[in-house]
Amino acid sequence: MRRFLLGIASVLCLVACSPSPSHQSSTIRIRWPRDPENLDPLVAPNSHAVEILNLLHCSLLSIDYNQKEFVPWLVEAMPVVRQRDSLTLVTYQLRSEASWDNGLPVLASDVVFTLKVMNCPGLPNEASRAQYGFIQNIEPDPADERRFTLSFRGRARELVHSSGDYPILPEHQLDPQKHLRRVSLAALRADTVPNKRRQQPDITAFVQRYQRANLNRQPENLAGCGPYRLVDWQTDRYVALQRKANWWGDRVKAAPPQLQAKPAAIDYEIIADEATAVLALRRGDIDIYPMMPAKDFLALRQNKAATQLSFYTADSYEMIAAGFNTRQPELQDARTRQALSYLFDIPGLIQASQQGMAYPSVSLVSPAAGESYHDSLPLLTFNTQRAQDLLRSAGWQQQAQGWTRRVANGTLQHLKPSISYRAGNPAYEAIALQFRTAAAKIGIPVQPRPTEASLFTEHLRTGNVELYLQLLSGNPFTYNFTPILHSQSIGWGNFTGFGTAASDQLIEAIATEGDPKRQAHLLRKFQYLLRQECPLVVLYFLQYRLAATNRLTNLHATGIRPGYEAAAIQSLPAGTIQP
Amino acid sequence: MGHFLLHRLLRTFPAVWGVVSVIFIISRLLTQEQVLNHRFGEGETGSHVASPAQRQLAELQIRQRLGLTAPLFYFSAAPPPVAGLALRWQWNGAHNQYHNWLRQLLHADLGVSFRDDQPVVSLLLQSLRYTLPLTIGAALSCLALAWLLTPRLGRKSRGRSLLLTSLYLIDAAPLFVVSLLLLLLLANPEMVALFPAYGLGREDPTATWLVHFQTMAYHLALPMLTLTLASLPALVVQLDAALNHELRADYVLTARAKGLPDALVIRRHVLRNALIPVLALLTELLPSLVAGSVVVEMIFSLPGMGRLLAAAAAAHDYPVLLGGVLTVALVRVWGQVVADWLSFQADPRIRLPL
Amino acid sequence: MNHLFTAGTIYRWLALLWLTGLLLVALLVPLFPLPYAPDTTDLTAITAAPFTHPHWLGTDPLGRDLLAGLLFGARTTLLISLPAALLATLLGALVGSIAGFWGNYELRLSLNYTLAALGVLGFCAVVRGPSPVLFSAASAVATGLILLAALTTRFGYHRTFPVPFDKALLGLIALLTSTPLLILVLALAALSTASLSGLLLVLTLTYWPGAARLVRAEVLRIRALPYIESSRVLGLPALRILWHHIRPNYWHTLRATFPLSVATLIGLETTLSFLGVGLPPETASWGRILASVRLAPTAWWLILWPTLAILITTLALRQISAHHRPG
Repeated sequence: MRRFLLGIASVLCLVACSPSPSHQSSTIRIRWPRDPENLDPLVAPNSHAVEILNLLHCSLLSIDYNQKEFVPWLVEAMPVVRQRDSLTLVTYQLRSEASWDNGLPVLASDVVFTLKVMNCPGLPNEASRAQYGFIQNIEPDPADERRFTLSFRGRARELVHSSGDYPILPEHQLDPQKHLRRVSLAALRADTVPNKRRQQPDITAFVQRYQRANLNRQPENLAGCGPYRLVDWQTDRYVALQRKANWWGDRVKAAPPQLQAKPAAIDYEIIADEATAVLALRRGDIDIYPMMPAKDFLALRQNKAATQLSFYTADSYEMIAAGFNTRQPELQDARTRQALSYLFDIPGLIQASQQGMAYPSVSLVSPAAGESYHDSLPLLTFNTQRAQDLLRSAGWQQQAQGWTRRVANGTLQHLKPSISYRAGNPAYEAIALQFRTAAAKIGIPVQPRPTEASLFTEHLRTGNVELYLQLLSGNPFTYNFTPILHSQSIGWGNFTGFGTAASDQLIEAIATEGDPKRQAHLLRKFQYLLRQECPLVVLYFLQYRLAATNRLTNLHATGIRPGYEAAAIQSLPAGTIQP
Repeated sequence: MGHFLLHRLLRTFPAVWGVVSVIFIISRLLTQEQVLNHRFGEGETGSHVASPAQRQLAELQIRQRLGLTAPLFYFSAAPPPVAGLALRWQWNGAHNQYHNWLRQLLHADLGVSFRDDQPVVSLLLQSLRYTLPLTIGAALSCLALAWLLTPRLGRKSRGRSLLLTSLYLIDAAPLFVVSLLLLLLLANPEMVALFPAYGLGREDPTATWLVHFQTMAYHLALPMLTLTLASLPALVVQLDAALNHELRADYVLTARAKGLPDALVIRRHVLRNALIPVLALLTELLPSLVAGSVVVEMIFSLPGMGRLLAAAAAAHDYPVLLGGVLTVALVRVWGQVVADWLSFQADPRIRLPL
Repeated sequence: MNHLFTAGTIYRWLALLWLTGLLLVALLVPLFPLPYAPDTTDLTAITAAPFTHPHWLGTDPLGRDLLAGLLFGARTTLLISLPAALLATLLGALVGSIAGFWGNYELRLSLNYTLAALGVLGFCAVVRGPSPVLFSAASAVATGLILLAALTTRFGYHRTFPVPFDKALLGLIALLTSTPLLILVLALAALSTASLSGLLLVLTLTYWPGAARLVRAEVLRIRALPYIESSRVLGLPALRILWHHIRPNYWHTLRATFPLSVATLIGLETTLSFLGVGLPPETASWGRILASVRLAPTAWWLILWPTLAILITTLALRQISAHHRPG
């Protein structure tokens, strides 16, 4: 035993004299729960990757988190939009200061190149191709090499925003031999038929060069025109970014916020466990803990010892909703769906699963949306009596074996719905169990069905669910409910199976309406319709919570992911704040 | 003996091939939604989202790029005949997923990850760089502790039952509770901040190996302690049972009658006979050396094998998952051979099954 | 029974008392006048501390009463974890002792009849059709092959071949223990939904290799001992040797690990439930209570009560299972 203790003591000595990590106060260290996994600008599989790519590269447009609107980034001003027949033409003018690291200017040819790369067969660009494939053509202005016009079909407002929302790639780095110049965008776009990839030597040569760059894991091989460059990336440990000493944005006079990048370095520290992350924040190993769980946030805020921390919250545009699969015979009529929606105790759930840090809404529109929010609709209440009345009016009868009804063709229906959700998420489990408890009180047996993520998606798509819980996300700029409620998305994003001619028309009208007043009117109509038809009910909107050390200033918590704007954060020099 | 080991080790390859093939087929038969789906925003109501037709096309393209469009195996189920008998299977030829995978495997190529197109071999090696120091350190300290504790186990005393009870207590508490408790006790500024809370510090290419070793040891100390504590109960309880069985044997009485001290009797004579069931347990320890521990790696934020495989499983990244299975299965069957050999060393009367 | 009140026997009585209590609770818990059902969420009392009315042992982060959870969890333990541990241990012991005793060469089967059986199986695996047609064709093939086997045996062609049971077992163990839990679970989830019997099956299937390996190693050692050799030379039936002469020598090892395996299985059951198979979410279990600590790390009562319950059960099982240790 003595020898063993001696051994331990010597190890401890060795450990104790190891160098303690030093860190500069101008570095901002942010906690992430997981690795970005893939930093290829064409792939960007998760929000973390998107966040880094937005620091390494610039898009044509960017988001002003305070104004909650799109703002020009690589371009001088918001684009000029014209309509020609069914085509929408969008003309952009690139900033004259915009340049790559080697001083070459960012030109319209780079945008043409980017569009071609996003449509080039053989690259892992399926997602961006599906997302931006709507852009049919790009015409550079022959008189001005910084000016170009994009054209696409459709009038929806978010298409204009989307047309400028991808990182612009440098042609001189990725394609110095100008292989892609010899292939037209139309030819690349037409090259979609699987198994029939055209074996053009130009495309093959370019694809090989792109793959050799190995941008998935070595994004430092591609110097974008963003304010930061990647210094070090250790999988599942950290990603370190460094501010470029000579970034073109610094030369813009009276630079707007999106052209300012304050921190000299940003470190993303990957800490998988929440409890460990809280500990790291308390120890000062990290500066910002975004997307903090409500319980940790409240506990830390009430902790008297945690004086070196500041706390921020922002109302987000993410909501947890319960959907009804209207293709199930028991859930086909709106009254049954309405009745069941009275069984959710929303204030109780907000308290229970979000510690009160969430807010209810009448429908898919955030209550912060001003006129668009239908404030004269009442919030859903927890009312078992009302639910019973509605069920009876829908033809259900309560009997010894539960609620039953006889439908037109003579079959006897039993009301015993299941509620499916992704397994492993406590918020969903809380909702499912609360719903089950409430339904049991009025004699409806409910079966919770937690399902593994992939299987859950499959069940949703094939319609093998009855009630289900899902996270929906919106944004403050545009409203487009096509993906989740239009009848053309049934089986893809519309898992409710809902969709009438009237609702489809309304959804399309909302998406294309340019005038805010008229759009607000349409939105109110849509919220009313949703309440009547009840294909899904919004339980609550989430709040984003963020804790950070006091030495950070100009830190704005935003309701849009990632919940903060890293490039805007400033830090006081160490020592100015006494802990 | 070298002949035996070589012979047996070579003979493990068919077993490993069988294991990995079965898992390959099972995993590819499962739903692939996750592989295709994680790139499209699900449930987005605002921004422009691709239309169903575009998404269908994109999914097909992803499948094609990942090599998932070919038939799975050499043969697949044929449609059932209307009347009479017909063959149950139809032949698909050599152009199938399994064949391609096997051919790559023969060239020691485990394919590339679905998530980031990185070679699976390099991903596994990268993770093992962090996992092996942790698990081997923990295993060694676990064995050392067990060695130290054996003399105490032989005697019936208050200390022994206290020790066993506390081991049962550690075993009853889940691993994440043990890790969190240790973390909150030993890395907390409010308690004792002896150890770092997470990670492995910064990679500094200019540092000497001694500094590397020091930072590694400093960061791995707490996870190692957790793993040691977690694997100790099974080992010691097993050893205790075997010791108590052996201590009743006549040779022990003889040895004691000769006046040997208890500790010596146990370590020199009894332990050897008690070792055999423990060796079987040790073979279970070997694969977990390479498989790592998800819980400990999650809580202490270490980029090890456990986390790699857990993330791959969650994302249905089958090439990585199969690479991990292959590694673990190899170590497992080799561990079995080594355990057989060791039990022969402990008791030469055992005939070795060739 | 002359020292009824020594320390050892008192412990044994206590252990018996606890296990009987557990059994009674598991049987009678639906009759208890509990204020809350274990699956009812009380949203007014989230993570309530213990020793307050009406939740005397506190609640979990979803507002479920811990007292009800513990009592109903005892039932789950008795219905799932204990039987699974027992089944896995017995299955492991059976398979392990066969593999250890006969090894790869000593269990021999008749080649003729095996080939006949394989022929029938192969026929069914290769050919398909409407079931009456398939059935009659398969019967015809079976009759023919068996007749052929009988004839060849009759005419003196009779060979046997060794069944490599040991190798097969090791391969199977390697397969089962190398399969990531999630793949196994997904494959099973695709086949059936969460149910008690399904869970029992999964737990037994994933847990028997440990016991099998242990017993195999022990049998390998024991069968090399002189008295086994002599009993084989004497021509005692193999099963008799296995049961009367070998089994008593490894039984103690199994008994020692059994209580621990109950605790491990409670943990495994929690993991499975977390992945979406295993227990339906409205079923209370000790493991589930423990898992909810993740949502409220400061709620010590969520760790204390279930850990205590698991610990006392393990210790009680240990006391009972170690009953004929001398002294």
